[in-house]
Amino acid sequence: MRIILLTALCAVMSVSILAAEQDRLTVYTINYPLQYFAQRIAGEHADVVFPASADVDPAFWQPSTEIIADYQQADLILLNGAAYANWLNRVSLSRRKLVDTSAAFRDKYIHGNEGVTHSHGPDGDHSHTGTAFTTWLDFNQAAEQARAIADAMTRKRPELETVFEHNVTALEADLLALDKQLQSIVATRPDLPLLASHPVYQYFQRRYGLNLHSVMWEPEEVPSEVQWTELERSLKEHPARWMLWEAEPNPDSARRLRDLGVESMVFDPAGKRPNEGDFLSVMQHNVKNLQEVFN
Amino acid sequence: MMDSLTIAWKYIMYYKARTATLIACVTLIAVLPLALEVLLNESEQQLLSRADSTPLLLGSRGSALDLVMNSLYFDDETPGLISMSVVDEIDASGLAIPIPFYVSFQARGFPIVGTTLDYFDFRELRIAQGRQLALLGETVIGAEVAERLGLVPGDSLLSSPETMFDLAGVYPLKMKVVGVLARSYTADDLAVLVDIKTAWVVQGLVHGHEDVSQTEDDSVIIKRGEDNVVANAKLMQYTEITQDNIDSFHFHGSSADYPLTTVLLLPNDERTGTILRGRYLDASNPYQIVEPGDVIDGLLANIFRIKNVLDAVILVVGIATALALILVFALSLRLRQREIRTVFRIGGSRSTIARLLATEIAIILLASGLLCVVAMVVVDSYSNELVRSLFIG
Amino acid sequence: MIEIRSLKFGYPDTDFSLRIPDFHVGTQEKVAVIGPSGSGKTTLLNLVAGILVPEQGTVRCGGREVSALGDAARRDFRITRIGFVFQDFELLDYLNVLDNVLHPYRITRALKLTKEVHDRAGELLQQMGLGDKLTRGVERLSQGEKQRVAICRALLPSPQLVLADEATGNLDPRNKGHILDLLFDAVQAHESTLLAVTHDHELLPRFDRIVDFNDFLGADLA
Repeated sequence: MRIILLTALCAVMSVSILAAEQDRLTVYTINYPLQYFAQRIAGEHADVVFPASADVDPAFWQPSTEIIADYQQADLILLNGAAYANWLNRVSLSRRKLVDTSAAFRDKYIHGNEGVTHSHGPDGDHSHTGTAFTTWLDFNQAAEQARAIADAMTRKRPELETVFEHNVTALEADLLALDKQLQSIVATRPDLPLLASHPVYQYFQRRYGLNLHSVMWEPEEVPSEVQWTELERSLKEHPARWMLWEAEPNPDSARRLRDLGVESMVFDPAGKRPNEGDFLSVMQHNVKNLQEVFN
Repeated sequence: MMDSLTIAWKYIMYYKARTATLIACVTLIAVLPLALEVLLNESEQQLLSRADSTPLLLGSRGSALDLVMNSLYFDDETPGLISMSVVDEIDASGLAIPIPFYVSFQARGFPIVGTTLDYFDFRELRIAQGRQLALLGETVIGAEVAERLGLVPGDSLLSSPETMFDLAGVYPLKMKVVGVLARSYTADDLAVLVDIKTAWVVQGLVHGHEDVSQTEDDSVIIKRGEDNVVANAKLMQYTEITQDNIDSFHFHGSSADYPLTTVLLLPNDERTGTILRGRYLDASNPYQIVEPGDVIDGLLANIFRIKNVLDAVILVVGIATALALILVFALSLRLRQREIRTVFRIGGSRSTIARLLATEIAIILLASGLLCVVAMVVVDSYSNELVRSLFIG
Repeated sequence: MIEIRSLKFGYPDTDFSLRIPDFHVGTQEKVAVIGPSGSGKTTLLNLVAGILVPEQGTVRCGGREVSALGDAARRDFRITRIGFVFQDFELLDYLNVLDNVLHPYRITRALKLTKEVHDRAGELLQQMGLGDKLTRGVERLSQGEKQRVAICRALLPSPQLVLADEATGNLDPRNKGHILDLLFDAVQAHESTLLAVTHDHELLPRFDRIVDFNDFLGADLA
């Protein structure tokens, strides 16, 4: 009798474990910030996957057919919107699973025409004409994106609503704390002229009112003489003392900048997975770097 | 009695051809209307089951039947086009899951059905060989298409230009077959399924070409400006999407303006379905929502009106044939006068003779009846495929 | 065996008229009837067999007054007591030799098809030289063979009286004598009486007696 009961108990337990296993959402994202948001909101209730390797820029990535098949199998596919990740236009995904996390502020996208096609790195050509896509660098927008993710997950798993709600509230608090910090930092010297090495800070600049000019340099490459001349010319009208970089710049570039009186600082947009820490710690570090600039 | 049966049987076996002809006549008269009935019922069921399993269709205001035939049976009658923006509207409303359709082109005689992966889930289409659509320019073909064209995953299939004299120059697209669907015995067996974006590539709305700012062939360039390059039609359009050129495929303008033939709507529930229908009721709205079940019901009502006429025709033909059969029997009695006289002479009474003849006729009718049953069993068991091949073939 | 008195018979709607004041055939007698075509020889056989009924007069056969019996009784009488051999054999193409011989047993209640009858049919056909053709279709037989089958059929019920209507009329000369021999032997063996209509004058000497129909022409019925 006891053995039968024990067996029954085991059966019931394994079934419920299986059920819980099946209940886990599979969520695929198209960049790292969305993966971070989704993982924080879902906690243990989802497998959140961003399948690109750490060395590619997700904005200009082309996943293999195998990876596309993985995306097709997911319960939810989180998109950034704002014309981010062009590859989405060239693959087949189930519309039903797609979540455009920035749909709520679609009418606030920044459309610009900042240059013609240029080439760099192993990913081939890419263009910055069109819509700016680093929406999450406006942390208020990031919080809205997080909210959209929570809503989508709740639609899929209504029974977990309280969990998602609890987690997204905590995430929003973290993001809005960054937002507040940045606002107060910039408020000390709103006119401080700054340079950006690459046009990825549009929403950041708009939200926090930075006096920021952008060039089109790459961290790992030393700019050409033409680019240096253009910089010197622009420095006359825009006497910046700091340049924001997506990643640690080439030492030669940093040295030559310093000769022109411009210091380098890293403000990592964290579109791809950071080597150390997570989205929040990278952003906190970014804010700390900016704090030093404004001091 | 047993003797009458034996004798009648001997007679019938002796005059095999005559008997076979009679049996065939009687069987045909019985089978024709019955088979027609079975086939019509089956086609009604098939038409209805696909229509009934399709909750709502959104399309341009116009022939509701065209909308249904185009998106359920991939009929080549293309209804008025609608724009992709309506899909975004439905998405935004959250009332239904929209599945867009663009069914306007053909590949070697089979309809190219541009849709999204949701359609595969909705119809529960299983991929028997190969894999699901992943990249632009790929196609998953129906089982019948694969069989008739002898295609397997890895082969390619060329789209047919819409018209021979299309001035806009729709270049045929060489699509890559990546999967073959399991047979579903529906119109999907005859479909060349592609992603909606690939359907737009077929039309030339989404296209890829050489990078005009880097081309070395100056003859294609009309004007080269500071940051704008105007190219002429000699600029090569890719007829095949490959790993190397896929990045060059791009949308011109907003995808919201891209054309669709219909949008299949899967409402969350009855209530949201009603709300959605309400939104498109107004006759001034260029779009309408139809319920395919209703439309097909209407169509069937017409078919059954035709069937009544058909039944009457069959009845008349049946009567005529029955009369002809009676004549045949009467004539054969005259032909058999001598034989009847013989039976009479060797002692057969009139009733014996009548019994012998009746037994013969009974055997013929019985054989016809059996044949009829066999034929009906066959028709019934193949009615499914038969109707499918008649309807979708 | 046969006794006809003051017989008068005519077919409706014709001016054919047969008058026979007196005609009789003794038991086991073999009588040939001759006469011109249309003089009523076949009609006589039909009257004797009870297929036709006279307008006037009586037809007695084997002691029974056939002309006084009802339809069914007359047919039963004919089936059981009289064997009929026809000029054109009256065989059924769709039956084989044996089935043709047994056919009367299968279509009448008066004759019972028993194993004994079955065996006897076989023997009879054997005697007639058709022992190896029992299951052959009759259309594949020669004329002579066909008539032998017909004779077997007529004799199977062991009739008291055998009526033969031009039984050799369709046969070639070589066969005629042979068939007649067979018929005579069979009639002899069955101790039957034979009344035969014939045109073949060369066969006449074999009969016990010859009745010329010309004798009846213009006869007065007393």
